[in-house]
Amino acid sequence: MTTDVVRAERVLTKPQVHTRPQPAAKPRPRARTRSRLDGAAGHLVMVLLSIVCLFPVYWMVVTSLRPANATFETSIWPTSTSLDNYVYALQAIPILRMLGNTLLIASVVTVIQLFTGLLAAYAFARWRFRGDKLVYSLVALTWLVPFQVVMIPNYLLIAKMGLLDSVTALILPHFASALAILLLAQSMRSFPREVIEAARMDGARSWRILWEVMMPNLRGTIASLAILIFISTWNEYFWPLLLSRTPANSVVQIGIQMFMTTEGTAWGPLMAASTMASLPILFIYVVLQRQVIQSFMKSGIR
Amino acid sequence: MGQLSLVGVKKTYEGKQVLHGLDVEIADKEFVVIVGPSGCGKSTLLRMIAGLEDITAGTIAIDGTVMNDIDPADRGCAMVFQNYALYPHMSVRQNMAYPLKIARMPQAERDRRVNEAAAILGLADYLDRRPAQLSGGQRQRVAMGRAIVREPSVFLFDEPLSNLDAILRVQMRVEIKRLHKRLKATSIFVTHDQVEAMTLADLLIVMNKGVVEQVGTPAAVYRKPASTFVAGFIGAPAMNLLPATVGREGVVTFDIAPHLPLVRAPDLAPGTPVTPGTPVTPGTPLTPGTPVTLGIRPEAITLSSHPERGLPATVDLVEELGGSRVAYCDVNGLELAVVLPAGEEPYEGRQVFLDFGDRGWHLFDRISGKRLDTPTQEVRVQAGLRQMVPA
Repeated sequence: MTTDVVRAERVLTKPQVHTRPQPAAKPRPRARTRSRLDGAAGHLVMVLLSIVCLFPVYWMVVTSLRPANATFETSIWPTSTSLDNYVYALQAIPILRMLGNTLLIASVVTVIQLFTGLLAAYAFARWRFRGDKLVYSLVALTWLVPFQVVMIPNYLLIAKMGLLDSVTALILPHFASALAILLLAQSMRSFPREVIEAARMDGARSWRILWEVMMPNLRGTIASLAILIFISTWNEYFWPLLLSRTPANSVVQIGIQMFMTTEGTAWGPLMAASTMASLPILFIYVVLQRQVIQSFMKSGIR
Repeated sequence: MGQLSLVGVKKTYEGKQVLHGLDVEIADKEFVVIVGPSGCGKSTLLRMIAGLEDITAGTIAIDGTVMNDIDPADRGCAMVFQNYALYPHMSVRQNMAYPLKIARMPQAERDRRVNEAAAILGLADYLDRRPAQLSGGQRQRVAMGRAIVREPSVFLFDEPLSNLDAILRVQMRVEIKRLHKRLKATSIFVTHDQVEAMTLADLLIVMNKGVVEQVGTPAAVYRKPASTFVAGFIGAPAMNLLPATVGREGVVTFDIAPHLPLVRAPDLAPGTPVTPGTPVTPGTPLTPGTPVTLGIRPEAITLSSHPERGLPATVDLVEELGGSRVAYCDVNGLELAVVLPAGEEPYEGRQVFLDFGDRGWHLFDRISGKRLDTPTQEVRVQAGLRQMVPA
């Protein structure tokens, strides 16, 4: 009796499974195995790439934690750890001051470049004026000009202004960025025209439209751009190298380089300084990364 | 007040003229619908009234003040867009209050107007939601609310129902009409949907290729279309438009081989002299051989079983509409739609006779497409159609 009930249930439930809408071309078992293999291969490639990217960072941290006599050990996991390299790095150069300078410069440059970028991008995206396309092309061209080309004229200008060896001089040439303008202009061009027109009908002029209507809806682009600007400014080496005279007015990238002397390279402290230089940027990246994803999900522009 | 006057309005885009000098007068409190196919310039015209497009030539005046160079916000117009155009980052309340905030209206007055509009539109429970959390119909209501709070003298609607599904579209259509009755503000509504146009309008403006084809009440436009374009555009199913020629006997015939007399006049022997130049239409000399387009609405044709009373045809396809049916009949290769009352049961492939009756004829000049006045009974008698006129 019980067996019959079970059998009856099977009979009843079985067709239900089969009546569910099936994809027109159901993958055959062999095809399914193949797609699984493809997926696994894809993951394997990604894992290998991640190792290639992350291993140097791991090695930097591990080396910074090894005692001086074990710096060149090749074991993956350190046999003994010490913070001596950090203590030495902090004492040898004003690394905290340099970190502070770098943070200040990167923050100010990010804010200014976003500000000038937003203004210029709005003009390119929204206004039609004589020669607008030419000016836009010129801005795009400046992006392709290597730093080495403008380095000497910039240096001369800064020298004439009497700003050599100052934090201001490290900020000044970075007031506007072609990348920021181009990226923002592109985002603004794809912003729904009707929303802007609705704002115009509501009485908003360009200033309000930019800050109150467009900018809150471009958070994704702005956050991504902020990360890019911040990282590239943080990693700036050549321009500070040209201008800086004293460690107190310099940036952390120059500080790291100070452990490489003609007498040899102090790898342990260098790795400790590098680790300290990486931590803030890693932190900022993680914070803004979340912001980027959130803004993409919340914007809901249709 | 919201009296609009458009005089010689033209629009040119990069050397290409899209509006060819429009002259329209719109009275205060009127609900005007501009209807036409895509690309006819209706939205451009609306955007020019709003101030979102420059005016190439002519003047647009609201209440006697020329608005050509006045900022969109200062024209006293509020616009509802097809894609709602709500600010995605603001709540419903903020969206509706935004124009008032820009106008620096005191907070208390802002709140009062927003709450009032929300109550009218049934949005009171959604004021703190974001547009993304609302359905299409609710979003469109918010867009209307944002227009209402400004208390404009002219409401502009740019195909506001196009993105809604069929049921919601009908509901919103009724709401818009009700809202107009309540607010009594001049409204200009752009659509390509002739049902929307017919149901909403006090005054209909039919546009095609940048020109106004006809201005009139929906009933007048339906009854007396000014051109073949209007005849084909207004009314569903569309008016049957048949190429025809005024024959020697004064009988209008189809232009298909073999020539079929549109209606048979048994007592009029072939070759009966008709004075050339006999006016078929008062004031319009229509001589035999004149190419014309004959228009007849599908609802004006009836099915007859008597060969004398109609054209032989074959039922090709029948569409069921519930209350009525549409039969598409084949007349010697020419397709004619016929609206049949519910209950009549023609089946596909059946031989029928199409009785054109004596009313609902429209004659248009074949070349210009312009209307030649409807043949009157007298004219049709002159044209040898005596037998078709019921006693």
